[in-house]
Amino acid sequence: MMDAGWIILLPALPMLAAALIGGLHFFGLIAGEADEAHSARISLTGMTLSALLACGALAADSFGWLADSQFYGHWLGSGRVGIAFSLRGTGFNLRVAALFALLLLLTMRFSVNYLHREAGFHRFFFILNLFAAAMLLLVLSGNALFSFAGWEAAGVCSYWLIAYAYDRPVAAHNAVRVFVSNRIGDAGFLLGTALALLWLENCDWQTINRGAADLDRGDATLLALCFALAAFAKSAQIPFTPWLARALEGPTPSSAIFYGGVMTHAGVFLLIQLQPLFNQTPTAMQLLVLVGGLTTVYSYWVGLSQTDIKSSQIYAASAQLGLMFLECGLGFWNLAGWHLCAHAVVRCYLLLTAPSILHATHGHPIRPVSPRWANCRWAFMASLQRGWLEPALDWMLVKPVQQLARDMRNIDDRIVDPALGAPAPAIKAISSLAQWEESKMGAKLDNDEDSFARGSGLAGKLAQWTASLLSWFEYRFILRGIGRDSINWGRRLGRRANRFEQLLLSPRYLILFVLITLMVALGYGA
Amino acid sequence: MNEPFPLLSLCLIWPLLGALPLAFIENPLRAKRWALSVAGLELVFCLLVLCIFDPGYGGFQMREDYPWIAGLNVHYQLGVDGISVLFLPMTAWVTVAALLAGWNSIRQLSRFHLALLLTLESITIGVFTALDLTLFFLFWELTLPPLFFLIGLWGAGAERRYAAMKYTLYMLFGGVPLLFGIILLALNHAQLTGGASPGELCFSLPVLLQTPLARDAQNLIFFLLLVGFAVKAPLAPFHTWLPTTAMEAPAQITAQLTALKLGVYGIVRFAIPLAPAAAVEHRWLLAILGSITLVYAGLIALQQTNLRRLLAYSSISHVGLVLVGIATFTPQGLQGAMMQLLNFTVVAGSLMLIAGMIQQRLGSTELIDLGGLAKPMPRLTVLFFVFALSSIGVPLTNGFPAELLMLLGILQSFPALALVALFVAVLGAAYVTGFARRGLFGPTRHTGAAAPQDLRARELCILAIPALLVLWLGVYPQWLLSRQESALTLWLQRLHHPTTWVADALVSDRIREGYNINR
Repeated sequence: MMDAGWIILLPALPMLAAALIGGLHFFGLIAGEADEAHSARISLTGMTLSALLACGALAADSFGWLADSQFYGHWLGSGRVGIAFSLRGTGFNLRVAALFALLLLLTMRFSVNYLHREAGFHRFFFILNLFAAAMLLLVLSGNALFSFAGWEAAGVCSYWLIAYAYDRPVAAHNAVRVFVSNRIGDAGFLLGTALALLWLENCDWQTINRGAADLDRGDATLLALCFALAAFAKSAQIPFTPWLARALEGPTPSSAIFYGGVMTHAGVFLLIQLQPLFNQTPTAMQLLVLVGGLTTVYSYWVGLSQTDIKSSQIYAASAQLGLMFLECGLGFWNLAGWHLCAHAVVRCYLLLTAPSILHATHGHPIRPVSPRWANCRWAFMASLQRGWLEPALDWMLVKPVQQLARDMRNIDDRIVDPALGAPAPAIKAISSLAQWEESKMGAKLDNDEDSFARGSGLAGKLAQWTASLLSWFEYRFILRGIGRDSINWGRRLGRRANRFEQLLLSPRYLILFVLITLMVALGYGA
Repeated sequence: MNEPFPLLSLCLIWPLLGALPLAFIENPLRAKRWALSVAGLELVFCLLVLCIFDPGYGGFQMREDYPWIAGLNVHYQLGVDGISVLFLPMTAWVTVAALLAGWNSIRQLSRFHLALLLTLESITIGVFTALDLTLFFLFWELTLPPLFFLIGLWGAGAERRYAAMKYTLYMLFGGVPLLFGIILLALNHAQLTGGASPGELCFSLPVLLQTPLARDAQNLIFFLLLVGFAVKAPLAPFHTWLPTTAMEAPAQITAQLTALKLGVYGIVRFAIPLAPAAAVEHRWLLAILGSITLVYAGLIALQQTNLRRLLAYSSISHVGLVLVGIATFTPQGLQGAMMQLLNFTVVAGSLMLIAGMIQQRLGSTELIDLGGLAKPMPRLTVLFFVFALSSIGVPLTNGFPAELLMLLGILQSFPALALVALFVAVLGAAYVTGFARRGLFGPTRHTGAAAPQDLRARELCILAIPALLVLWLGVYPQWLLSRQESALTLWLQRLHHPTTWVADALVSDRIREGYNINR
């Protein structure tokens, strides 16, 4: 056994590379084509070292030289809840980490040439390094919380890379869709982590797995379902599958590594990590079988009618991921693990070569669907429309939320704001004449229309009605009662009062009022 | 009892003193430099307070206590504890940022503007340090005049005077129940110590925290204080002043309003501890009020087409979550809520400043006038994302530990509301990235000479420091949490065992003394 504290370098080296490239690029120290070599060298050095270390660790682990878990310190403590930063650099975690590191290194090397003279070269490498760090942290972390950190950071990187060509509205739109869909899964992950922290006072993977046996059946099921939701979203299982097709806006190497090779496998990895927990809960296992099976069929079906190479690849990938979920659900955990590793390699390769394949097969027509299926019109239609899954989700989730949001905004503008006494004046109508606006603005407070006395909103109206009632009373019984002369006097007084009132309504006197209120308040005590 | 050196008084009075010479500095540039150095020195003083502060002790520290109005037993009493101490450097920072943000944009009456900003800083520090309720109320209401002028005179929108008046009216409305609550508390103390003569009134917070209070009086006082603070917080339905102000006021002032959540601070500092039994009894009310605000404002934010209104609603929504976190009355929920309150000063304030920078360049923050800003302004975009990701609680930013802790607290006390909080977390991602999609991404609309300039060194400085803070607190939140831990533990002890006389030596001395004199 040797101390394997250096295992932290696996995620830390790409992180450093990302920080370096990001910092230098932010301050304009590396920019443009001339400095491409710097970015490339920093990235490749970091990633090569990381991959070499991972392979070394793999060798050391096969001789059983590495301690199972590395503890680095406490991150957060609150009451009885304590979260540590620890890594778990052995066994399946390390194997997946080594594989991912190698794939990331290859993709990075590929991208150096592929992105040559692209506008966002440095940005791309910053994000790719950050992503590498996030994925390695995800697979190596000893507890759920830091896995979640890697999980979410990978999601953010995916968002940025889909919006890589951010001046294209479609890319920006798809990036938002993908990020928000992924956030639903993230919410599940976060809920699972929080529940584990509460029930088991710790969120180490080992504690969760060991504690699963002691938990109530219902509690364990809930925990497993939360993590399953996260896995479904990240691995694009039904009903989250549509995001995967939208995610292909980024440059090809990023599609290969995010959606072909590495990131979408995180969901399956999470399930394998939590194998003992899932073994406890038949409900969750059945759900895995169901969702995995459905996704496989769905993706195969939709994949049949795809005419663009990246789309057909990506539907093949989600079909394979569905198979992995199925295997997990049926309890073939080892098979799922092997499937994950093998599929990561193959799919990454296929997506990286996709542009070359297109180039090689240019001019060859696509092999048509077999006549038996082609005659089946409804099946073809369903495949072409991708099973209407996305419109259905829009109709069930997105539209109602948007409608609700619109209603809330209307309530806020039309009911809440006026009811509390000071609604916004209608500025929309006059925006065409800037000068008039200026004059209105200047005359605002001398204008009767906006003065307090006229009253606006519910509270204002109440005050206004009371005031007019009193004034009627005053006029009718007091002023009328005392002869004509006094009325004249009263009118003169009234005019003075009016002038005085107008003065009072200007801001400086309002402030005076505030001060007087304060003094009265203080005087009240005395 | 008094500190040998009145550091808190210095923090309180220094910006005000520094504002006076502005009357004689005619050169605008020199006036700005003078104001900046005053604010910078104030930041140093506040950081000094933070250094001297002993995080291991949960009670009030660095106390200063001098009789002020002897007839009413009103004292000039200052002190800080773990809850308030961190707000001091944050207030000072927000003022420095406001001065720098308005460096070039304030052309008219610039000395008056500087003086008002410094005065406001003094008063705000007073709100955070005052331990005497009368003194607190004085500072609380005194924040209005400077804000009224700052919004009304230098506002960005055409309706700025209306916005200033709306803000002032709302706040005055909130002040009334607050005053009644404070007077009732003082009268109750006088009643308990025999007789109701003015000399036996008591406004001192440490003493009132130990004074027993009848149940029905607690309910009344709790609601009075809650309404008073809810207007400022703001909680639905008293929130409409914030979007209006955000649209009309200068960005740096809105940044200050959204950054320093005086209302929520008041709820934590006064409303709940002074009426603990009522607060525990009505915790559901607090939680529901908070979650309604959370969802309601979050949904409205989804529909906004203007960055400043969007930020205003998102900050209202976050206040709702913080209130739910407080209402859990668990250590985790409370720690998360307090951490989130401090995060606001960094995140919400900086986002509002970014909105101001866009407004200054393009004359609008309406989505229809923006689009493709990432190309001409890459640095602004990067910093926007740092703060935006923190506001939606992405790990490795300071928003994450706070949201995680609040979620833990909510799961313990109100499990159903945890789902609501997670739903709004998804909504948050939707409205923030939705803005980025249409405002920052997309085809570039401003090219050539019309292209806005990226951040200047001055602007970079006022955004980079908070950005570093965001990342640092995200990686190492324990530093912040350990500053507050003992104060919050004491807070919870008082809440759950309201009758226990907590071992706060100074307080018990004081009250024993008080009783002896009164008898």
